[in-house]
Amino acid sequence: MINLKDVSYVRLGTLDMESAETFATSCLGLQVAERAKKALYLRSDDRSHTLCYTEGDPSDQAVGFEIDDEDCLQQAAATLERLGHRVHGGSADEAARRKVRAFIGFDDPSGNHIELVVRPERSGRRYFASRDAGITGFSHIGLNSTDPARDERFWTEVCNARVSDRIGDIPLMRVNAIHHTIALVRAPKAGIQHVNHQVESSDDVLRSYYFLSERRVPIVFGPGRHPTSGARFLYFNGPDGMVFEYSVGVDEIEDEATHRPRQFGFEPTSFCMWGSKPAGMALPNDK
Amino acid sequence: MNPDHHPLVVSVCYIRIAASELHASARFAADIFGLQRVAEKNGEIAFRSDNRFRTLSISNGSSNGSGAGSSIGIEAWDEVALVEIEKRLTKGGFTVSRATTDDCRLRYVQAALLARDGSGNSIDLVARPTQSGRRYFPSRDAGITELHGVGIRSTDMARDLQFWKELGAEVSDWVGDITYLRIDGLHHRIALYPAKRHGLLYAAFEVETLDNIMQNGYFMQERQIKIVQGPGREPCSKQIFLHVEGPDGIIFSYVSGMKEIGPVRRPARQFPLAPQSLCDWGSEAKDVPELSAGVN
Repeated sequence: MINLKDVSYVRLGTLDMESAETFATSCLGLQVAERAKKALYLRSDDRSHTLCYTEGDPSDQAVGFEIDDEDCLQQAAATLERLGHRVHGGSADEAARRKVRAFIGFDDPSGNHIELVVRPERSGRRYFASRDAGITGFSHIGLNSTDPARDERFWTEVCNARVSDRIGDIPLMRVNAIHHTIALVRAPKAGIQHVNHQVESSDDVLRSYYFLSERRVPIVFGPGRHPTSGARFLYFNGPDGMVFEYSVGVDEIEDEATHRPRQFGFEPTSFCMWGSKPAGMALPNDK
Repeated sequence: MNPDHHPLVVSVCYIRIAASELHASARFAADIFGLQRVAEKNGEIAFRSDNRFRTLSISNGSSNGSGAGSSIGIEAWDEVALVEIEKRLTKGGFTVSRATTDDCRLRYVQAALLARDGSGNSIDLVARPTQSGRRYFPSRDAGITELHGVGIRSTDMARDLQFWKELGAEVSDWVGDITYLRIDGLHHRIALYPAKRHGLLYAAFEVETLDNIMQNGYFMQERQIKIVQGPGREPCSKQIFLHVEGPDGIIFSYVSGMKEIGPVRRPARQFPLAPQSLCDWGSEAKDVPELSAGVN
């Protein structure tokens, strides 16, 4: 069993580093941690970075999950190889570029590039946002899946994820007390479907709605409220078609032992209880 | 009883409006806005929003705010308070008269003074407004819990402020000259807006939560009902709001979460007349000069 502690970072390739930085700072509100030769590191909380733009093709994406220690990393590599995944052992240089002690990389069954990391760096200085979006931290990702049932088994049987709720056959999965860290989304090919940052209050969600609308950033869903996690949300488009989400008030699963996933129907009200409709963003089960 | 021991007025207890299209307006109030239609008397259709018998009446007529069918009902502590109010308003030089039995019956109250503020807005000071034994049961789940307050257009801010001070209201805050008036523990129940004409600017109904504000926003969007402003949050009172265009341009508002000030007095605060003083989130009221902070 691979014990994921939390999601650590997202790496996104981009052909236009300048636009990515402009968006990340003036719209999203992240803090530039470091401008390297071919990478831009961005902070959203007390970690050294949680989002990294790398020069390259926008389909070059990776999600990092933190695991306990290097022993666990070795065991994880063995487990994955036994299951037929090709495992890449990160070099010291590659680890340094991820600001982690050690890592391995592999593809999940849909082909999403996943990295398991040990000892990701924290920062001594507190996070200081570039604009007052109220961000409290990078929190979860939506992950494309070509076969949600198969991928649910991977995340829950090979890894330690637990299903918190399902909408249709789409699982929202947690790896700690937070309602979900990985939300699978049915899609024809692999990819990160959205990147979530938590904000302080529903005020921040609504403020950003007006702020981003005024700057002509396409709002693709919301402001709304998920009946599953209880979170108030706003989804909007970033560079290279990536969808970013602000949300607040994600429930915690109070009793790990007795929680049973609830089943929601695959319908608009299962995604938003306020009545917002996705515009230019596919719902997780659209085929 | 010594009137100094209790407030003279206790609540905004009803709104009476005259609308050019009575039945369309009644449909808006019930089917769209979500109030409960309860009665019709002398051409006035009555609606409930809480455990009072009615908090909104609509009649046929022009909605200039001073016609026979338009008034704002303010509940006085009791009949003794009405005597004191009559004395104070008369001394202050305001038009005030005792309501007839018919006037009272039409207003579902036991006694009333019919007064005019400095701008000419009809304000009814009433005693013993009728409550209902049955609980409020609206036609749709808009989340309404009570008539919360009113926004009033003023053409004479100094006189209107004096009018409300005679009734014991206190200023909580100013935005430019917009004046938020407190009559109970909440930040305001009455807000005066400098305007070119008098009349009711908005009737505000409290809803349970932000969820209802947002749900009602999408409900209006889907039905192509004009949203005048919001969803937004008033920085002074912390109240979240959605201003919806109602009959004859009168704004019907859903509001929630106003800050309590409590019994301790504090000086009124002055905020600049700017959009961010009227909405913390960034919503704007482009078509309503009173709500647009001088931008339009």
